[in-house]
Amino acid sequence: MSGVSLQGLVKAYGALQVVHGIDLEVQEKEFVVLVGPSGCGKSTTLRMIAGLEEITDGDLTIDGRLVNRVAPKDRDVAMVFQNYALYPHLDVAENIAFGLRIRKESKEVIASSVKEVGEILGLTPYLERRPADLSGGQRQRVAMGRAIVRRPKVFLFDEPLSNLDAKLRTQMRAEIKRLHKRLGVTSIYVTHDQVEAMTLADRIVVMNDGRIEQIGTPMQLFLNPVNTFVAGFLGSPPMNMVKARIEAGVNGPVAKFGDDTLALAQIPSIQNAVGTDVILGIRPEFVTVSRTADDGAVPVDVDLIETLGSEALIHGSLHDEPFVIRTETLGQMDILDGISGFNIDPDLIRVFDAASGLALPGQVTKQ
Amino acid sequence: MSADPNSEGPKRVLRPQESRIVRIGAHLKREWQLYAMLLPTILWLVVFLYKPMYGLQIAFKDYSIFRGVAGSAWIGFEHFDNLFNNDQFLRALKNTIIMSAYGLLFGFPVPILLALMFNEVLHQTFKKTAQTIVYLPHFISSVIIAGIVITSFSPSAGIVNTILEWFGMDSIYFLTKPEWFRPIFIGTGIWQEAGFQSIVYLAAIAGVSPTLYESAVVDGASRWQMMWKITVPSIMATIIIMLIIRIGNILEISFEMIILLYQPATYETADVVNTFIYRQGLQGGQYDFAAAAGLFNAIVAFILVMTANTISKRYSRTSLW
Repeated sequence: MSGVSLQGLVKAYGALQVVHGIDLEVQEKEFVVLVGPSGCGKSTTLRMIAGLEEITDGDLTIDGRLVNRVAPKDRDVAMVFQNYALYPHLDVAENIAFGLRIRKESKEVIASSVKEVGEILGLTPYLERRPADLSGGQRQRVAMGRAIVRRPKVFLFDEPLSNLDAKLRTQMRAEIKRLHKRLGVTSIYVTHDQVEAMTLADRIVVMNDGRIEQIGTPMQLFLNPVNTFVAGFLGSPPMNMVKARIEAGVNGPVAKFGDDTLALAQIPSIQNAVGTDVILGIRPEFVTVSRTADDGAVPVDVDLIETLGSEALIHGSLHDEPFVIRTETLGQMDILDGISGFNIDPDLIRVFDAASGLALPGQVTKQ
Repeated sequence: MSADPNSEGPKRVLRPQESRIVRIGAHLKREWQLYAMLLPTILWLVVFLYKPMYGLQIAFKDYSIFRGVAGSAWIGFEHFDNLFNNDQFLRALKNTIIMSAYGLLFGFPVPILLALMFNEVLHQTFKKTAQTIVYLPHFISSVIIAGIVITSFSPSAGIVNTILEWFGMDSIYFLTKPEWFRPIFIGTGIWQEAGFQSIVYLAAIAGVSPTLYESAVVDGASRWQMMWKITVPSIMATIIIMLIIRIGNILEISFEMIILLYQPATYETADVVNTFIYRQGLQGGQYDFAAAAGLFNAIVAFILVMTANTISKRYSRTSLW
């Protein structure tokens, strides 16, 4: 079983600890994405798995074997780097074959492997070109070719799409997903782009400041973030955060902010939190826009509307705090006229404790 | 700003020449700081490299310091005829070529190897100390270097002969024996300059992306394999550029070091074109004859650098221009 297990993994540079004992089990054939802001320790974690950084403490096992002290070449992992790491003096075929040559594979094996990888990645016409003569997307494919040609147990991707433009990134993202489906190799992928994380991952690991904030499927994390950091990190635009106070309403608990109130889910943790300050997490996608003031809608001062074709982003403020609504237009722009507020299903509001930032327990938003 | 001749309105139509002058003027006005910084170099080139070229004509004249450059009579290629019939010049030319070839063969790879070795040293204090030691001779005057060499190879108190005597061998008068001059000269040159020259290659190595090495480590490459399969190919453009420059200077043997080390007993192997020019021109007062030798030297160097550049451009995509 070629899974990867991280147990209490620590990385410190002298007195400075940058990864604080993280635990993670990556199952065989799983595609796990480590996501987080710059400096959160995700690349360092990946490099520890690759063997490019020494592990300060904790255990790392690959395929059931403890590899803390095993050289990178003997871990049976392959890595794709952000800047491709292609050898400029070698052509595409030689770049792909580099790892096999180093391992002294026979010429026949090298030739057939390069041919096969070239076909898988659509690189056959470019095998004799040098990296300088390739486009960014082609270079990235060569970098992936270098990784897959060795048939490793684990693929490690370190922000492989960061150097590509937006269109190419979307294209390559899909190619990586297809490749993973085809090859079924355990993959660990590092990115700071939450869209990449959401679209590629079987499971996402959100990291912050050298610690894991939450692990789960993309939808688990999107719908049920455990704290305000995860809530604010995943989703584009991110979840709206509104400071409020829970009060007892006629029909159950309500969140009060300024003169406005919003009904909240009737679950024990919220009912028991009457009188406490909270942060309401409201996904821009989960609200419905309102044009009239008398339907119980929460008023929003709209100051900008961005149209994105079939949908629009409505930017405004809610009691001086920025608030974004995402709404479908299906091309009919007149529905954006006269928007004055929004409504939301109480079960779709995520309530976080204002002091700790943690979600109040028992809230489960279903897909 | 150029005007569109088809456009209507009050715009002044500029003639192509005028518009070009205006463009250049505007460019100079905008970038004058850059040109001001360039000016000292241009002046230096004009005064010290281009203006003296005027004097090259004495290679074709019967030059007299009393008649001056312009007043001296033209005599065509007579000095060149004499040059190629002069045994001393032919010997100097042969020595120049042999010593340059040896210098290229033994001296050119040493800085590259040094840079590769420094790059592999992980202990920073050791690395810095070693680098300082090998850079140091470059900053010492050639006179002192020659003094050290003469003292080291002295038959009475030199360290080299002392060591030979330890092994029961006879002292050798190294600097008076023609067969020892070339190895000593080449060795001294390497000792003096290899460390400093390695800085160029170290800088080139510093420019190699670390991820190339990391990728190779994951692929299973050893440090030895990384050195030969990544570092050397990655700095090959720099190596080729340095080689072209070196080939261009192939006839420019370290003149002052030879003057300091050679003596009539070693002229047979030590006399080179530059020392020949020095003796004929400055010591012998034959400025016109020496100018012919110097011009010949420069033309050969020009042909060599052009050839090396063309070959390099054709086969390695790297060239000086």
